[in-house]
Amino acid sequence: MSITAETAKQHANDPAVLCCRAEAGTELTPANFEDPAIFPDLVDSGLLNLDGALKLGQVLNGSKLTKTVDSLTPITPDIVDKYDAAEEEAEEAPAVEEAAVEAPVAAAPAFAAPAAGGYISLHIGEGKNIDIQIPAGIGGGAVAAPVAAAPAAAAAAAPAAAEETGEAVVVREMTRKHYKIDKVVLGDETKIEGTTLYVRKAAATEGAEAQKLVHSLELDVITPDNYHVYSETVMDIQPIATKEDDYELGEGVTRVLDGVVMVVTGITEEGVQVGEFGSSEGYIDENMMWGRPGAVDKGEIMIRAHAVIDNKKNMERPGPIAIHTAVDHVTQEIRNAMKKDLTDDMVVETQTMKQVRRPGKKKIVIVKEIMGQGAMHDNFLFPTEPVGVLGAKPNVDLGNVPVAANPLEVMDGCIHALTCIGPASKEMSRHYWREPLVYEAIHDDDVDLVGVIFVGSPQANTDKFYVSRRLGQMVESMNVDGAFVTTEGFGNNHVDFTSHIEQIGKRGVPVVGFSFCAVQGALVTGNKYCDAMVDNNKSMSGIENEVLACNTLCHEDAIRGLAMLKAKMAGETIKAPERQYTHAVKENNVELIEKAYGTKMELVENEQSLPISEKRKAKYD
Amino acid sequence: MENIQMLLKQGAVGKPCAPIVAVGDKVKRGQLIATPTGLGANVHSSVSGEVIDITEDRIIIKPNAKQPKTFEKIKKGSNLEMIKEAGIIGQGGAGFPTFIKIYNGKEDKPVLDHGYILVNASECEPGLAHNIAQIDADPEMLLRGIHYLMEIAGADKGIIAIKKKHRETIEKLDALLKDDPAIERHLLPDIYPMGEERAVVRECLGIELEPDKLPSAANAVVINSETVYSCAKAIEERKPLIDKNITVRGMIKGGNEAHVFMDVPVGRSVQALIDEAGGFDERGYGEVIMGGSFTGKACELGDPITKATGAILVTRQFRDLHGAKVGILVCACGGNLERMEDLVAKYNGTVGHVCYCKQAAEMPNGTRKCERPGNCPGQVKNNLEFKKAGCEYIIIGNCSDCSNTVMASGPKMGLKVMHMTDLAMMAVGHPLYRTLKVSKKVSQDLNVVDNVEDNETVE
Repeated sequence: MSITAETAKQHANDPAVLCCRAEAGTELTPANFEDPAIFPDLVDSGLLNLDGALKLGQVLNGSKLTKTVDSLTPITPDIVDKYDAAEEEAEEAPAVEEAAVEAPVAAAPAFAAPAAGGYISLHIGEGKNIDIQIPAGIGGGAVAAPVAAAPAAAAAAAPAAAEETGEAVVVREMTRKHYKIDKVVLGDETKIEGTTLYVRKAAATEGAEAQKLVHSLELDVITPDNYHVYSETVMDIQPIATKEDDYELGEGVTRVLDGVVMVVTGITEEGVQVGEFGSSEGYIDENMMWGRPGAVDKGEIMIRAHAVIDNKKNMERPGPIAIHTAVDHVTQEIRNAMKKDLTDDMVVETQTMKQVRRPGKKKIVIVKEIMGQGAMHDNFLFPTEPVGVLGAKPNVDLGNVPVAANPLEVMDGCIHALTCIGPASKEMSRHYWREPLVYEAIHDDDVDLVGVIFVGSPQANTDKFYVSRRLGQMVESMNVDGAFVTTEGFGNNHVDFTSHIEQIGKRGVPVVGFSFCAVQGALVTGNKYCDAMVDNNKSMSGIENEVLACNTLCHEDAIRGLAMLKAKMAGETIKAPERQYTHAVKENNVELIEKAYGTKMELVENEQSLPISEKRKAKYD
Repeated sequence: MENIQMLLKQGAVGKPCAPIVAVGDKVKRGQLIATPTGLGANVHSSVSGEVIDITEDRIIIKPNAKQPKTFEKIKKGSNLEMIKEAGIIGQGGAGFPTFIKIYNGKEDKPVLDHGYILVNASECEPGLAHNIAQIDADPEMLLRGIHYLMEIAGADKGIIAIKKKHRETIEKLDALLKDDPAIERHLLPDIYPMGEERAVVRECLGIELEPDKLPSAANAVVINSETVYSCAKAIEERKPLIDKNITVRGMIKGGNEAHVFMDVPVGRSVQALIDEAGGFDERGYGEVIMGGSFTGKACELGDPITKATGAILVTRQFRDLHGAKVGILVCACGGNLERMEDLVAKYNGTVGHVCYCKQAAEMPNGTRKCERPGNCPGQVKNNLEFKKAGCEYIIIGNCSDCSNTVMASGPKMGLKVMHMTDLAMMAVGHPLYRTLKVSKKVSQDLNVVDNVEDNETVE
């Protein structure tokens, strides 16, 4: 499609290719040229050969055609009367490695500029193979290139303290008391004796009875000596914690059991997994990405609460809500026992958590997009107890509008996640409890984290843009220097994810986005502010591999994101990634960061470290 | 003669007129039978006969066995009044009432400020021949008509826009124009859509109008050549607009030459005109199009012609695509989505994807107008979409230049390109709209031979 003068300027260094037939003598204008954004597709399909093509910037200065040529002809020196000399490119394209040598700040690849017409191909092999093609250009008419990751080693911040003498200010603090549990026994009473947790089996039955849609809820205990246990899809993993006295989330004292977590699983009577876009059923040791913020750590005991619900309710909001509410009946009984039975002499570790502000440093905000499409996608916000149900409001009922939280509230379980999107990328309740981005940001001396905003992802596009506009306004009023936007899952939610980035970006606030993208989850839409992205992918093949929490945001991603945002706030350009997803982008960036900071980044393992399941063998790797 | 059906709404625009006759009334050829209720123009009976039915949208008249050559003359009045009284509407297709085009209700301030009457004699729709035939037969009346209109509209200049290929007709005009300095002619290349109103303005005056602008924004009125004749006849002969010139062509017995019928009574049926041309070709046909192949619509054989009908085209038979996926590229120059879907159904295809040409700007009334008629904005992005949507075929309605662009990438991608006019073009023996080999510019010197590397011939 012909382009405007503005687009031509943006693409001054891209090849000049005629969009239509043009006759000899025509003075070339932007309207004569095809949009370079679609060149890769044309080259891929053999329609275009750009060898020897002059650049747009070279031929828009009064150049005239000397020959009548057809559409999709690249302008070469032999068909124009004159052209400008090519601009010096040296400063234009610093190789990532070179930049690292020369300066502590290196450019980093990111999401390619909005393109005008590509396609995202999803391939899901599930029994029968399903190919989904999403025409790009939803909403803004832009398209995504594979999102690649990459920060810059934005260490320019190091000497920044010179002009700022402001001390770090502790806004509030809270205490986490840890209690060790090394044995869980199901019995007739819920209590804690020493390091043994007894859970009353009948609590589950009572929880189920109170929920019309739940046919049964059964508890069992999975211990580290035998993780090779079959499990239906894991809906959620939850810390077991309770507030002391009448403290609210994010303040006072929280008691938490170490060594044990709640694992919620569910199917319908017919045996359909309660999950969407894949499910993680199978042997736990083959489907659990140990140690991810949202997952189980190796060595922990799992209290598995398995629910069976009405047919067809697996994909309707009331189904998962009923399961979570039933399970919380059990957990609440444990919380009550914790309040009663735990004494200070049983504390194995006390952790003081501080919300710190750093006046004078770059103010940043973290925006976390959480699922709110209804159906099964919802989150309970701000329960009374950590990751509880009582007292919470579902974000769908809140209209998915942005809601502000402080970092301590986030890490004290203010989100009870009902997310049922792809197992590998969903952020379960425990993820927020250990949210790496909040953790890294609050511990980063270079930035001043003002808070965390949760914004739901509604189903309808109009609602998506509604909440997105509210988010933009909220961020504007915070007067921040930079922002993160994270999301879980991929596809539908990318519409609002990129809109959030646009709403913030167009207010002049540098934004870095986090999402699983890689091969399978490339953005379905995009805009010019989506130029700095961290890809949460860890999987070898860049796919939603149904291994629980495999592709969720980890500390290594948080560190890359912080480096990238600092680079962006310092005015650095984030280099565009390759057109095809490649691990190399992340590897280069990690290397840059290690060089710049002089530290070694430990990268987490991926599904390749697990025994391979039959499902994974058949469908993925 | 068959029964005559006078539609109460003769053009594509405006409101239906109200009948002023009743069933059983005897009417004479030229008698006023319906008057406007809003935007519209008088309707006169094109035959002498008896009103046998009046329905919601038409007056049906049974003609007398013997028809007079003469007609009931309209009331005497000023030239403008007679154009209005004669019920003249644009005869190029849309049928906009002519007196409204040339008069704004202000006695002291005409619609144009020393502007231009641009006569559209491009006969832009391929295969039509009645406009040029009319000019060829009586060029003098065209010039007189232009002068009448110039005077009413406040124009200093008249320009006749005509395709350079009509050499003999142009020579006749040139001979007359030597002594008529107020009128000149502008030669057009033989590509589509040179007759689009704003294309005429651009070609003659060098002004590119926005899609929502009327030629008045360029101090011009664009008027179809046949309409100019109708105005001249209203003024000189006091003749109401009751007869229409029509090209009937295509799958007609005896060959695909144009059958040009002059002065056909408005309201005659499509079937009657096809019969008069010789009847359907025995090999069968695809559809009958009322109007040109780009902007016309499929019609029923019983449908009547109106004051705005220019052609009846009988197309080749449809190929059976056996349900193959067909992508539709909608642009402003050809059929709208409804027409394109109709064609896909007739081809027994399945609509696989729909794209709109980037320049097909949607107007407030839902129609589309091209932002730069005849100058392509690029089409490869649409082709990529069609390909990705799994289309095997695409059907386009684009102008010469855009069709050429579609062809630059479509076939290489494996898309089989069809043009909405293909079956009509085959039927009339016109090259198919695919690649463009001629220049979009022609020299105004009739004796300079332009780049005429011809398009591929049919089949």
